[in-house]
Amino acid sequence: MTISLSSYELELIKKELKREPKEEELKVIDALWSEHCSYKSSKVFLRSLPSEGPNVVMGIEDWQDAGAVDIGDGYAIVMKVESHNHPSAIDPFNGAATGVGGIIRDIISKGARPIALLDMIRVGSLRHERNRWLLKGIISGIGFYGNSIGVPVVGGELSFDDSYTDNPLVDVACVGIVRKDKIIPSVVKKPGLKLVLAGLTGIDGLGGASFASRKLSGEDEIGAVQIADPFAGKIILDVTLEIADKVEAIKDLGGGGLAVAVTEMANGLGAIVNLDKVPLRVKGMKPEDIIISETQERMLYAVKDENVKEVCKAFEYYEYPCAVIGEIIEEPKIKFLYEGKEVVSLPSSLLLSPPIYVWGIKEDGEQKINEKPNVRIEDAIRNIVTSEDLVNKEWAYSQFDYEVGTSTVIKPGEADSALLLLPNGKFLAIKGDANPDLCVEDSYECGKAIFAEAYRNLATVGARGIAAVDHLQFGDPKKPKVYAKFVEAIRGISEAARFFNIPIVGGKVSFYNENSKGEPIKPTPLIVMAGLSDKPFRPSIEEGLDIVLIGITRDEMRASLFTKIFGQYGKLPKARLSEDLISSEIVIQGIHEGKITYAKDISKGGLIGALWSIITKGYSVSISTDAIITAEDIYSKLFSENGGRFIVLTNDSQFFTRLAEKKGTIARVIGKVTKGSGIYIDSDYYDLSKEIDIYNNYLEARL
Amino acid sequence: MKTAVIKFPGTTCEIDVLKALKEAGVESNIVGYKDFDPDKFNAVVIPGGFSFGDYLRAGSIAANTETMKKIKEMANEGKIVLGICNGFQILVESGLLRGALLPNLKMRFISKWVYVKVVRFDTAITKGLEKKVLRMPIAHAEGRYYLDNLEEAEKLAVFKYSDEKGNVKEEVNPNGSILNIAGIANEEGNVIGLMPHPERASFKLTSPDSQTDGLLLLRGLRK
Repeated sequence: MTISLSSYELELIKKELKREPKEEELKVIDALWSEHCSYKSSKVFLRSLPSEGPNVVMGIEDWQDAGAVDIGDGYAIVMKVESHNHPSAIDPFNGAATGVGGIIRDIISKGARPIALLDMIRVGSLRHERNRWLLKGIISGIGFYGNSIGVPVVGGELSFDDSYTDNPLVDVACVGIVRKDKIIPSVVKKPGLKLVLAGLTGIDGLGGASFASRKLSGEDEIGAVQIADPFAGKIILDVTLEIADKVEAIKDLGGGGLAVAVTEMANGLGAIVNLDKVPLRVKGMKPEDIIISETQERMLYAVKDENVKEVCKAFEYYEYPCAVIGEIIEEPKIKFLYEGKEVVSLPSSLLLSPPIYVWGIKEDGEQKINEKPNVRIEDAIRNIVTSEDLVNKEWAYSQFDYEVGTSTVIKPGEADSALLLLPNGKFLAIKGDANPDLCVEDSYECGKAIFAEAYRNLATVGARGIAAVDHLQFGDPKKPKVYAKFVEAIRGISEAARFFNIPIVGGKVSFYNENSKGEPIKPTPLIVMAGLSDKPFRPSIEEGLDIVLIGITRDEMRASLFTKIFGQYGKLPKARLSEDLISSEIVIQGIHEGKITYAKDISKGGLIGALWSIITKGYSVSISTDAIITAEDIYSKLFSENGGRFIVLTNDSQFFTRLAEKKGTIARVIGKVTKGSGIYIDSDYYDLSKEIDIYNNYLEARL
Repeated sequence: MKTAVIKFPGTTCEIDVLKALKEAGVESNIVGYKDFDPDKFNAVVIPGGFSFGDYLRAGSIAANTETMKKIKEMANEGKIVLGICNGFQILVESGLLRGALLPNLKMRFISKWVYVKVVRFDTAITKGLEKKVLRMPIAHAEGRYYLDNLEEAEKLAVFKYSDEKGNVKEEVNPNGSILNIAGIANEEGNVIGLMPHPERASFKLTSPDSQTDGLLLLRGLRK
C-alpha cells in the first residue's frame, strides 16, 4: 500500500511528535491527512460557501456527516452528495454500488430515513468498448445497491464526454427525512461513552482514502476498492434507525476506516480502541489493516454504558456482528491497542489539523476561435437531437427501483426534476446539475450557471429551492490552471448561493481526476438542490397547447451543445441570476395557479433541446422564429444555452405575457403543440421520426 | 382478525404494503420474521424486497425459514397468503406455489408501469374483478414465470401482462414469462403470488393516472 504523505508532511509530523512515527501511525496520519478526508487543498476556499441560514438545523461544522434543513411541521431533511470516481474506474460495479452504500450511511448517521437517491454519471463516448463496460457496470452497481436497500433512485444525469474516458464520474446524492428534534450528531461532546462497532471488518478497501487522493496509477489498485454488500447495508439501515434514540452519536465508516471515524467522532477528545475486539471477516488481519480497512456496511456508535446491551441486541436479531471496541476518553489522544500493546498513540490535534495548502493559480489565456461554422439548420437539428447527451435514458433508470417508498410523484424521465411526497404532506423536488462544457470555458460563470439551472429545474415542477450541496471534481490541484478553475467555480457557486439565499449544507471535493495521458477531466462542479412545493404537479402534454418562451434569448453560443459538435464561436453565456429568479417565479406561480401543463428549462441543446422533450413524447411542435425578438442569429434563437429561460405549455398564454411584463421580463407565444413527430420552423418542416427511433433505442442498442 | 405483513431481513416494501392495506381498510401489522405467531392472523402478506439479500436465488433462503413453515400451516387452513414480487419468489421457492421465477430475458432489473389482465376470479383477491385490466408497476430482476406444463400454468394463472385494452400479446411481456403470466394462485385460490406491486398502485398522488387499481386487489383481504 502506497503512502501519499509528502516529505514536507513527514517532517512536520516528526517535529510535532518529537519522535519517529511508527509505521501503523503513519498509515493513520496518511488516511486522516489524505485530500479525501482532510480537504487540505480546498478548505480555505470552501469556507466562502454560505452554509448558514434560518432554516439550517445542522450545518457542516467540522465532522458532521451531513447537514440538515428545517422543512416545517417538525421535520427536517438531510442531504449529501459523494462520488466514487476512482473505485469505479477500476471496478465499476463495486465502485458505484459502494458509492450508494456510503451516501446512505451518511444520511442514517443523522438518524434520518433515506427517501431518495440521485445518480449523476459521466463517462466517455459509448463508441468505445471500455466506456460501454464502465457504464454497464456503474448502472447495474447502483441498481444492485439502491434496489436491495429499498431507497428509490428518483433521478439523475447521464452524460458523455471523452475527457472522462479513463476517469468516469459517479456521483450519488441522497436525501433523508427526520424529526427535527431527533437529529443525531456525528461527534461527541463528553468522555466516557462506549464505542460500539457494528459490522465485520475485512481486507477490502485498504488505503482507499489515500488512493482516492492521488492519480490513478494504472498499477494494481484493486485492493483499494471496497466490496458492496447491500444486504448488510439494509440491516445497518434498519437497525440504526431503530436504535437511533439510544445513542449519543453515529458515524459512518467511510474513507480512512476506523482511523478516521474514531478520530472525527472524538472531535478533539481522545479515544482508546482495542483492535482485538473488532469483529473480523478474515482471520489474522494485521492491526494496521484493521485500523484503515474501508470495508463497507460498518457503523460506529457512541453509546452510554447503560444502553450498550440494547443497541447490540437489535443487531443480534439479524445475526449481525456488534461489539464494544473502546471508549471516548478525556486525554486528547487516539490510541489503538492490539494484544495489550499500544500500536498507535497520536494526539487528536495532530490528526485533526493537517497542513492547509493554497496552490498556485494561473488563469487560462483567452481562447478565441470565432469563426461561425456554416451548418444547415436541418443538419444542426438532426445532429443535436441525436447526440448522446439527449437520448432517452430509460435503459439506465429502468434498472432502478424508483417506486419503492410509494412517494415518487414525478418519476425519472417525466420532468426536469423529481418530485416526492413527504410525510408532512409537502412535496420535495430534487435535481443535480453540472455543465462541464461551460466550465472548461469559464468555471466562474459555470459555478453560477449550474446553481441557477438547478433552481430553474426545481421550478419546472413548482418547487422553490431551499438547500443545496455541492461536489467539486477536478484534476490535480497542484496544476495552476486546474486550481484556477477550482477557485473560480467556488466563487461562482458561492455568489449564486448568496443571491438565491440558499445555504450549501454539505459538499465534497474530488481532485486528481485525470486520463491516462495526465490530462485533467473537464472541470465538473456539480450542484444538487432540494426544494419544496405545497402542491402536487404532474406534467402532461396535449395537442393545441401554446408554447410560451419565458426569458431573454441571447447571442451567446459558446460552450453550447451546438458549438461542441460544430466548433466553438460566439460569446460565452453569462449567468444573470435575477433573470433566473424572475423567470422561475413566473413558472412556479403558473404551476400553482394551474396555468401550466408542462414546463422545461432551456439548457442542453437550447430551445431545440427543450422542444425535443415534447416531440419525443409523441407530438409535433411548430414555432415561429420571428417571435424570438431578443436574439438576431438564427443559431442563437434555436441553440443558445443562455440561462434564465423556460418553455411552458399552456392554454392561457396571456397569463404569462402579462405576468412577465409585471415582473420584469418577457414571455412570448412562439408556437403550438400539434400532431405528429416533427418540427415546423417557420415555413420549413422536418420530420424527426428517424431521430425519435434513435432517441428511443440508442442506449438499448449500444449496451 | 388481522393481516400480518412479514418482514424478513432484506425486505424493502413492508411499510408501503402496510400503508396500502390501511388505505384498503385492512387491519394489519408489520411482523418481524422471528416474531410471527400465525394464530393471531387470518391472512399474511409477504412483501417485496431482497430477503436475505437474495444471495442464493431470489427468495430461496427465506423459503427455508421457520416462518415459512408457519405460513404453510396457515395456507393449509385456508387462510389467505399473498406474495408480492420477492414474496411471490419466496412462495414459489417454498413450494406453496407451483413453477419457478427465472431471470428476466433481458438479464437485468426492470422497473416500469405495466398493464395486467385479471384472468381468474376465484381467488381471494380477484373476486368480482371480471374482465378487469389493472395498471401497476413491476420492479424485479427475476420475474420470468416458468412451468413446464403449459396447460397447468394456464389453469393457475391469475394475472397476465397485457396492453391497455387487455390484449395479451408478446410485445407487452416485460420479462419473458410463459403465457405472459404475471401472477398465479394455488388451485384453492387462497395462496396468490404476483410480480407487480399493487401497493404501489394504491395512492392517487403517486400513480401516473391517479388510479388506485392496487386497492381493488388488496381489498380482498378485508374480511
